[in-house]
Amino acid sequence: MKKVIMGNHAVSYGVRASEAQVISAYPITPQTHIVELLSEMCGNGEINAKFIKVESEHSAMAACIGASAAGTRAFTATSSQGLLLMHEMLHWAVGARLPIVLANVNRAVGPPWSIWTDQNDSLSQRDVGWFQIYCESNQETQDTVPQAFKIAEQLQMPVMLVLDAFFLSHTYEIVDIIEKEQVRKFLPPYNPEIKIDTKDPHSFGNLAGPDMYMELRYMIQEAMEKGLDVIKKVDDEFREVFGRGYGLIEPYRCDDAEIILVTSGTVASTTRAVIDAMRGEGVAIGALKIRVFRPFPFEEIFAVLSKAKKVAVIDRNISFGCHGIFFQEIKSALYGRTDIPVLGYIAGLGGRDVTPGVIREIAENAISNKNPERYINWIGVKR
Amino acid sequence: MKPATMPTEELMGSGHLACQGCGATQAMRFALKALGPDTALVIPACCWAVIDGSFPHSCIDLPIYHTAFETAAVVASGLKAGLEMRGDTKTTVMAWAGDGGTFDIGLQSLSGAAERNDDFIYVCYDNEAYMNTGIQRSSSTPVGAWTTTTPVTNYKREPKKNMIDIMAAHSIPYIATASTAYPHDFMRKIAKANTFRGTKYIQIFAPCPTGWKLAPELSVKMARLAVTSKMYPLLEITDHGQKLEVWKDFEPTPIAEYMKAQGRFRHLSDAEIAGIEKDVEAKWERLLAKERMLASIPGL
Amino acid sequence: MIKKVEFKTYREMPIRPMTVGDMLWNLTGSWRNVRPYYDFKRSPCIVGCPTSENIQRYIQLVTENRYEEAWRTIIDNNPMPAVTGRVCFHPCMSNCTRGEYDEPININAIERSLGDMGLENPGWMAKAKATGDKKAAVVGGGPAGLSCAFYLARAGYPVTLFETDGALGGVLRWGIPEYRLPNGTLDKVVKAIIDSGPITVKTGVKVGRDIGLDKLEKEFDAVFLGIGLARSRSMDVDGEDGEGVEPGLSFLRKVNGGEKVDPGKKAIVIGGGNTAMDVARCALRSGSDVTVVYRRTVNEMPAIREEIEEAEKEGVKFEFLAAPKEILRKKGKLAGIVFQRMELGQPDESGRRKPVAVEGETIRMEADRIYSAIGEQADLEGISEAVETEWNLIKADEATGQTGRKKVFAGGDAVTGAASVVEAIAAGRKAAEKIIRIFTGRAESGEAEPATVGIDDINTDYFSKTRQTKMPRIPVGRAREGFGEIHTGYDAALLHREADRCFSCGVCNYCDNCWVFCPDVAIMRHENEYEINYDYCKGCLVCVQECPRNALSTREEGK
Repeated sequence: MKKVIMGNHAVSYGVRASEAQVISAYPITPQTHIVELLSEMCGNGEINAKFIKVESEHSAMAACIGASAAGTRAFTATSSQGLLLMHEMLHWAVGARLPIVLANVNRAVGPPWSIWTDQNDSLSQRDVGWFQIYCESNQETQDTVPQAFKIAEQLQMPVMLVLDAFFLSHTYEIVDIIEKEQVRKFLPPYNPEIKIDTKDPHSFGNLAGPDMYMELRYMIQEAMEKGLDVIKKVDDEFREVFGRGYGLIEPYRCDDAEIILVTSGTVASTTRAVIDAMRGEGVAIGALKIRVFRPFPFEEIFAVLSKAKKVAVIDRNISFGCHGIFFQEIKSALYGRTDIPVLGYIAGLGGRDVTPGVIREIAENAISNKNPERYINWIGVKR
Repeated sequence: MKPATMPTEELMGSGHLACQGCGATQAMRFALKALGPDTALVIPACCWAVIDGSFPHSCIDLPIYHTAFETAAVVASGLKAGLEMRGDTKTTVMAWAGDGGTFDIGLQSLSGAAERNDDFIYVCYDNEAYMNTGIQRSSSTPVGAWTTTTPVTNYKREPKKNMIDIMAAHSIPYIATASTAYPHDFMRKIAKANTFRGTKYIQIFAPCPTGWKLAPELSVKMARLAVTSKMYPLLEITDHGQKLEVWKDFEPTPIAEYMKAQGRFRHLSDAEIAGIEKDVEAKWERLLAKERMLASIPGL
Repeated sequence: MIKKVEFKTYREMPIRPMTVGDMLWNLTGSWRNVRPYYDFKRSPCIVGCPTSENIQRYIQLVTENRYEEAWRTIIDNNPMPAVTGRVCFHPCMSNCTRGEYDEPININAIERSLGDMGLENPGWMAKAKATGDKKAAVVGGGPAGLSCAFYLARAGYPVTLFETDGALGGVLRWGIPEYRLPNGTLDKVVKAIIDSGPITVKTGVKVGRDIGLDKLEKEFDAVFLGIGLARSRSMDVDGEDGEGVEPGLSFLRKVNGGEKVDPGKKAIVIGGGNTAMDVARCALRSGSDVTVVYRRTVNEMPAIREEIEEAEKEGVKFEFLAAPKEILRKKGKLAGIVFQRMELGQPDESGRRKPVAVEGETIRMEADRIYSAIGEQADLEGISEAVETEWNLIKADEATGQTGRKKVFAGGDAVTGAASVVEAIAAGRKAAEKIIRIFTGRAESGEAEPATVGIDDINTDYFSKTRQTKMPRIPVGRAREGFGEIHTGYDAALLHREADRCFSCGVCNYCDNCWVFCPDVAIMRHENEYEINYDYCKGCLVCVQECPRNALSTREEGK
């Protein structure tokens, strides 16, 4: 059944269809609709889950950790400051190898207070060990929820799906709503062998000496590396049931492109419109959307970008004192290919619009820039 | 041999990493005996994060979830919710935290869970300072005590936080204090707590010989003197904070006997100890007055 | 599992940081520098008991309702707890640690309860058969003789018991009034002892007169003399011989034998020992106004304290610091007595202050009966010729009763002078043990005595102050009207209330404290004992500190 719904509700429907068993969350703009609708669904029986209304995001993640440790499917949603408050427990979920799914609505971090989108909240969680999947549309957002649970549960790793504040969270689009009966064909019930169970008692997470810790971290990395194949396989399985899939990355008109713009989130849609326009003008330009940021699909990205002459990365984020965060990753994906200049552009922080004009400005700057000495170019800053 | 005075099944085994004479370890053993094998534990950062043993070994033959410092209560909430969703309504979830993890950093999530009245037993083993990190003051540290962050030149001037009143303000079904010197009383309270649905809070006085500069063999004696000197009243609060029962059936002992055995109070003069005693006596009288007052309200 | 789990590669590890083994591989005993160990010590009550009854043990057995075992524990040292439970001066209670805390355990009453249970359950008494190739003669059927005969017979040696009187019991029968020890009870005690083994009783035979000691020496492999003090000592005052003046023992013998007595309207009893009290109270019960006159003060009276108090309550009057000087007669009839006023001087060899006459001061009292109870002496007719004596007492080794004649042993009052029933029982037992050692050729066991526990060794935190449980009794008013037994004995509830007060000094009574409080789960609770698991004991010594009764000790490791 198709419905016109906001991105936040797309998450809720995805959670409903995935039959999450324990939900715990704390309100924060612009995430709140996700859990409001889930509360309603819990209340009216649309979903058989316990909703723990905690007093903070830190506790939301902690509650999910407890629930997931008990062997149940656990979900939370947050944004910005909330995600940052969770930080400690994000690490905990990874170290504990718990398949929790979190929806983060990308919102800028204060101060000053800003409720509008940018990616610095999620990308500053880059190194905690969560899978990160950036969604572009409400449909993709909904569909990514059951995919996320399946990936998480297969690898015993937590998965974060990310959507832009307002441009997606509050924007209404037509979504083909998935139902649990269909999803069950794709996502089996979660029943892990190891869980908190008095019949098979274990102590989880106690003190490990230097002789043991590294191996446990090695296994997390191994799960991340396996993750790329698992994501692809899960995406294929999803496609078999629902006829839709999203991949790790999404190249657009890249085959013969001399210059490729690299984007993520809703900027990718706008970028595609600019690509079409510039292609019409005879420019050999393409775009690459990065959907899966962790694990980072180096090989797939290299396969696309290594055929280009120049790469421009649009970052809705900034790693202060360094570069845009996607930019760094793309640079390292192209390591050794000094013949392909990579240019970094910072745009759209704090919810500033990244319009077709902005993208065209970036593209034209990249084309004209013969010898890029600056790896970081701020677009639209009032200087 | 006479019948055993407590259950003989040992869910906590030897070889653990507790210091000599550790009250927290005695308390754990008693609690597990009271609850039996249908129990899952949540342990945040505290001495017990270490006492349990080193990966992949545990001294406790029960499921334990070790978690971050401030999350004992809420992980217990999540765990209980998860167990119930799995159809397991039999397992008792017990959060087991030190005073730092309860009075200080864990207070927020404990308050949240208690307000929601999530169904678990929360035990705070109270050794009155951050012992695992090397004896720093917590809000549970009593007035006059030395710790590494309240040196004798600047010992703690502030009274111990009244955690019991804070918990009582949450209207949870059961609150009690206990002492390792009275294991049968503690076990009874744990078992009683387990008969209520909702959040149950038990605070057990658990001496730390290492942190109190105390001969380990005096561990239990101090736990007893804390009670008989009225420093640490044993009480129960039921009826969602409306009924208070204070244990009074003991021979009172002078506070000096309690304080002078412990190095953490060695710097205090007799006059200072007398001042503390006066304050303790006043608090005790207020507690008894409160007990009478609550008992006098009709309809309870 | 004791083994530590080791992973060679990460592939062997669980992906989650979770435990798969216990901590038993971690032998924390290596942290220990002081070692606790179970070290049972001696309760002071046992030290105080002349016959070394294992009082601590039988009281603890009572707390566990193990009455038969409790009774057997007494019987190992004393064959007649129903007697001592009534008449003993119970020095155990003066030694009781609890006496320094609140009030001593009423050991005497507990012993009586068990003694009475033994009489009610004759099956508890094991029957010994004659198995020994040696036989013994015991002279005297009082406490010393019965005790000696009992332990010899119990070991399988046939015993022939000679008694001058027509019935056994000695001083228990003719010296102790029925309100303290009913004849019926004594009969049962005697019968239980006689029935317990190969004992042949010959009553109405006075050794030394009817049969010579040398004849016994020839016929038997050992002879024990427990002949007691059957004669009253004379007061050595003018007018002593004649109507109205009677030795106290002779009066008691008549009363206990059921003879009609006439103690007159106003009787005076001279003396301060138990005989004096018994005579006074019997005379009172027979309708006389009675005054006890003693030459020292109440503090020096050798009588059992409770007996003095009872006598006073019943209405016996006391006059202290007065010694008989002259008996007054009017027309041959007793009229009264003059006493020399005394005062206390320097302590004598018994430690008591010696009475000395106050020159010129006398008192005169009227009386129609005077009973002398200033002491008794042994009847050594036919004995003193055979064995060495001193001060009219038989000379014998204190620990074994052996006399100068190899085969002849002696014990009880005839050796010690006026002492106590329990001391006589102890002497009879010790002589029997020595005789058995000689018969079997076995040496004395040379076990070292354990240390005795005192109040400072007790963790009194575990005991709240309680009053001693008094034995129920009939009211004084009724008691003085007849010879019925005054104390009626504990019921089960009282028995347990009192037994539960016992500290069990120095000896584990399985209170569980050590096991309960061990933080290291290093104390194993077995069927009949605790055991410290030194693999894990960290040496915190909480067990030692929290043991209420000092049943553990410590020693430094490596020493």
